[in-house]
Amino acid sequence: MRQQFDKDIRSLDAVFSFLRRFAEAERLDQRASYVLDLAVEEFFTNIVKYGRGTGNDVHLEAIRSGRTVTVRLEEQTPVPFDVTRPTQTQFDTPFAERKPGGLGIHIAREMLDGLTYDYVDGTSRITLTKHLET
Amino acid sequence: MFSISVNDKGIIVLTGRLDAAQVDKAREVLSGLDASAVVDFKDLDYISSAGLGVLLATQQRLKKGGKAIKLVNMNRMVRDVFRIARFDLIFEIE
Repeated sequence: MRQQFDKDIRSLDAVFSFLRRFAEAERLDQRASYVLDLAVEEFFTNIVKYGRGTGNDVHLEAIRSGRTVTVRLEEQTPVPFDVTRPTQTQFDTPFAERKPGGLGIHIAREMLDGLTYDYVDGTSRITLTKHLET
Repeated sequence: MFSISVNDKGIIVLTGRLDAAQVDKAREVLSGLDASAVVDFKDLDYISSAGLGVLLATQQRLKKGGKAIKLVNMNRMVRDVFRIARFDLIFEIE
């Protein structure tokens, strides 16, 4: 399945609808479905928030192969941002000063089974993989 | 969809999916909280870092006055998100 979305937080409901249709079509287990929703939300909102791209769209593609699900997010951008690099999660910051920055990408990484980043000819591509329990 | 309400026992009840597009609804209620309270997660199906951020800001604000929110009835996936974020060290979770 593949679909294009406006680079806007208001697209999030449509993104979740896309993922829900994919999960139903592929009969994904509840955990895999949750993890994909969370990971895609975190990376999609990161793209929207930092607005690095020149284009106004984000392309999502979801594929199941056996017991592995792969989701790709693609955008046109002159500025690569490697989401596999360490983020500042502030775990060592005192509670009163702690901020949630970097937390979403950290949670997504921990829950996924694979995360890769490619940047080729102005296209930024984030690839998420999750193995299915059933 | 997401909703937040206060029941007749004063418990804050979260329902549905607390994602980045819905987080303003949670912020609107929680930012007005000025006393310790219980937040019931029984009907909350989903939370992302956006929801965690609102809860963190609420807890930080309340703690300055010696108050806190306690979180109850989380499902397994939501609890996993709190554990990975190490928010289980910040909140009392029951």
